[in-house]
Amino acid sequence: MKHFASVGLAALLVACSGSDDAAGANDSSPAANEEIAGADDTPAVEPGSDGTLNIYSARHYDSDKAMYDAFSDETGIRVRYREAGANQLLETMRAEGENSPADLIIASDAGALWRFTDAGLTQALPQGEFETRIPERLLEPGRQWVGLARRVRGVAYDPERISADQVDQWQDLADPALEGEICVRSSTNIYNLSLMAEMVEKWGAEAAQHWADGVVANMARSPQGGDTDQVEAVAAGLCSVAITNHYYWVRMLQSGSDSAREAADATEISFPSFGDGEGIHVNITGVALAANAQNRDEAIQFIEFLLSPEGQQRLVSETKEIPVIEGVSWPDGLDAIPDFEDSETPLDTFGERQAEAQRIYDEAGWN
Amino acid sequence: MQATKASSIHLPRLNPVALITLAAAVLIGAPVAIAIFTGVIGGGGDAWMHIVSTQLAGYTLTTLGVIALTATFILLFAVPTAWFVSLNEFPGRGIFEWALILPLAAPGYVLAYAWADVADVAGPIQSAFRDVTGLSARDYWFPTVYSIPGLSFVMASALFPYAYLTARAAFSNLSLCTMEAARSLGASPRRLFLQVALPAARPAIFAGLALALMETAADYGAASYLGVQTLSVGIFRAWHSFSEPAVAARLAVLLILIAFGLQFIERVSRGRGGIQQTATRWRTPRRRPLGRAAGWAVTLGCALVLTLSFIIPVTRLIWVSVETGIGQGQIVRPFFNSLVLALAGSAAAFVLALAITVGARQNRFSQFIGRFAAGAGYAAPGIVLALGALFILSWTGFSVAGPAALIFLVWIYASRFTAAGAEPLSAAFSRAPASLGNAARSLGASRLQRLTRVDLPVAMSGASAAAIILFVETLKELPATLMLRPFNWDTLAVQAFAYASDERLAAATLPSLLITAAGLGPVVLLSLQLTRAGQSRAAG
Repeated sequence: MKHFASVGLAALLVACSGSDDAAGANDSSPAANEEIAGADDTPAVEPGSDGTLNIYSARHYDSDKAMYDAFSDETGIRVRYREAGANQLLETMRAEGENSPADLIIASDAGALWRFTDAGLTQALPQGEFETRIPERLLEPGRQWVGLARRVRGVAYDPERISADQVDQWQDLADPALEGEICVRSSTNIYNLSLMAEMVEKWGAEAAQHWADGVVANMARSPQGGDTDQVEAVAAGLCSVAITNHYYWVRMLQSGSDSAREAADATEISFPSFGDGEGIHVNITGVALAANAQNRDEAIQFIEFLLSPEGQQRLVSETKEIPVIEGVSWPDGLDAIPDFEDSETPLDTFGERQAEAQRIYDEAGWN
Repeated sequence: MQATKASSIHLPRLNPVALITLAAAVLIGAPVAIAIFTGVIGGGGDAWMHIVSTQLAGYTLTTLGVIALTATFILLFAVPTAWFVSLNEFPGRGIFEWALILPLAAPGYVLAYAWADVADVAGPIQSAFRDVTGLSARDYWFPTVYSIPGLSFVMASALFPYAYLTARAAFSNLSLCTMEAARSLGASPRRLFLQVALPAARPAIFAGLALALMETAADYGAASYLGVQTLSVGIFRAWHSFSEPAVAARLAVLLILIAFGLQFIERVSRGRGGIQQTATRWRTPRRRPLGRAAGWAVTLGCALVLTLSFIIPVTRLIWVSVETGIGQGQIVRPFFNSLVLALAGSAAAFVLALAITVGARQNRFSQFIGRFAAGAGYAAPGIVLALGALFILSWTGFSVAGPAALIFLVWIYASRFTAAGAEPLSAAFSRAPASLGNAARSLGASRLQRLTRVDLPVAMSGASAAAIILFVETLKELPATLMLRPFNWDTLAVQAFAYASDERLAAATLPSLLITAAGLGPVVLLSLQLTRAGQSRAAG
């Protein structure tokens, strides 16, 4: 009998493949029913709404889930989330089109947010209290997204082999004096792409290409591993300079692993500028309102929460990013990073120039 | 396995079984066909030209290099161990017999995280070496796991059990008559192996190897973590850096062609006729005890394979997990989610595998269509299949939420893994002597009666092996799960990858270990079942 059942199941599966979708349509409807008319320009709805908020997030921290829970407890709004890479989320939303249940998009890179906007998947944020608390540069000019936390790309170096002034500008890394001294990850990584995008914007494609060629010539080994691996390679003596985001280095400083902590202790961190007075490369984690968001009020309420002192603290506690509003204490360990001044490059540039950045890296042989 | 008698390659008769097979093939093949179709008509513009001119040759050569080297490692790991375990007695044989299947429970990307941590310049091996010698990291050369050989080693570690399983089954099934005849003619053990056993077992070994290599070619997690620029990584890059899913799909065509090449080689290696067993005295030849020195040498060899492929990486993960005291994260829900998805996915894949295996026995057309669809699905990376599913979604206008997301995901699992179930199933079916089916037919049994009362009971052990393999494969699946799972449905694989890709290896260890643990149960079951089957054959 069992065998009949399995054959029967095969037939059923075949027969049902057309009607599967109907079930999906029913499922997405609860979110659709939450539609709130005339929410434009409304800063926030009163707490206690029993709505649902659907978040597509490219982050994956346990502290984020705790943050969603805290928000739910405070407002009664149920939070549903889907976490995946920004590209996966973008393709999913593109495929879902108008039926996408997404209300908010959270991504850890300005370039990634730009791509959502470029694909027509975001809409302008209504005015809210939040914008009085953040630097103007962090609100996209078309109000398509807002920055929630800052992340700095810098270099960790071995102070016994390298002096701080050898790595205080990105141009230094292409200097033949650093031949065989640089460890860095693959160019496919979004952080390297955004960095290169800003270089193209600041210096022009030719100079940026020259820089990439110079860095490739100075590499101690072919690009491999993540930022943490590069810092560990410096500590092990394989190279003297590692390109890394600040929070990887800070997390290593506080790691439960002895070897990771010792590696960070053995290095110093520097935030190179793009040249005198040009500022440094600061990226963001940001949030955008989905083009077809059905729960706009809940979404804005959540953005307000993220840009409140409590939300900011929860957002950066585990990630070791840098808060964007004044008066929020920085997470443990950030006192070890140097002072810095953001460059003025519009953050959308990171996305606009991403494909060009990849081409330049490919030309340089930076895999 | 054997040549089918019904050789009507022209229009098949549309009997119900053929229809079910056809429908199964359409279901399996649709996501990959749609992804490729969209890629081909979608064009690629500048990005495609850029990739063709700067990257394509590199991607292709790297992929072929990884395949060749992985094949070498797999054969080295699988064939000698299977041979000695099947036909010789040596210390620890009883343990190695089942333990050598264990690496199947660990996903390639998990082994990659662990080996990268162990063997990297800052890892325990090199640190200890520097401490002892006083050398700096610049003063010596050490093989890097972030390389084609490194990736090949990791993939072989994760996948050699496929070839080990098929080789062991083949060696255990060697005809007693053949072996005894060869022995009585004075063949040395070496000649027995090289000239009798190996040629007879070759098709089975190649079948396991082909599966492992298709899996290798489609791997994304380990290759991207280790920074090896394979076609699979190139597909992701085309999509990620250039925002060109169509270009990604074009690259996938190349990957699928390579996989079909592998399948073709495997088919050719089987020969055209195949072997239909007539002898009833099919039992495991008595195991010969090895000499003391030789026995311990073999023990050492088996232990080395097991240590490198499984014990070192898993022990390292446990170490990191304990050292950093990770374990407070949400883990129960993802564990549960993983089990539910793996059960649903493997059940669907099993049913489809059964449909195409049964269909393959009907006529060559069904056989061709079923195998072609399953092969294409297996060769396509999960990302490409997921893109295919999204294309379908966008046409139908539904969202990735709730039951719809689950059904799409289960569909993609089935599309991706049916081939992994169909291989053991078809091997099991082909073991049923044709005479038995003919006898049933002469007694007036209908087609369905023959299937349920003759073929399926004979194929039962192979069927459970297929089911277990499908379960473990689905449990480990990553890219499609990442894209298509419903809200709040994190799986262990998703968690492990998310943590590891954010460089929180310590946090990634617990989900990684749990995937391995969840896979271990079924794998041990599979191992014990095969061992028991061998014993009962030997006793019978």
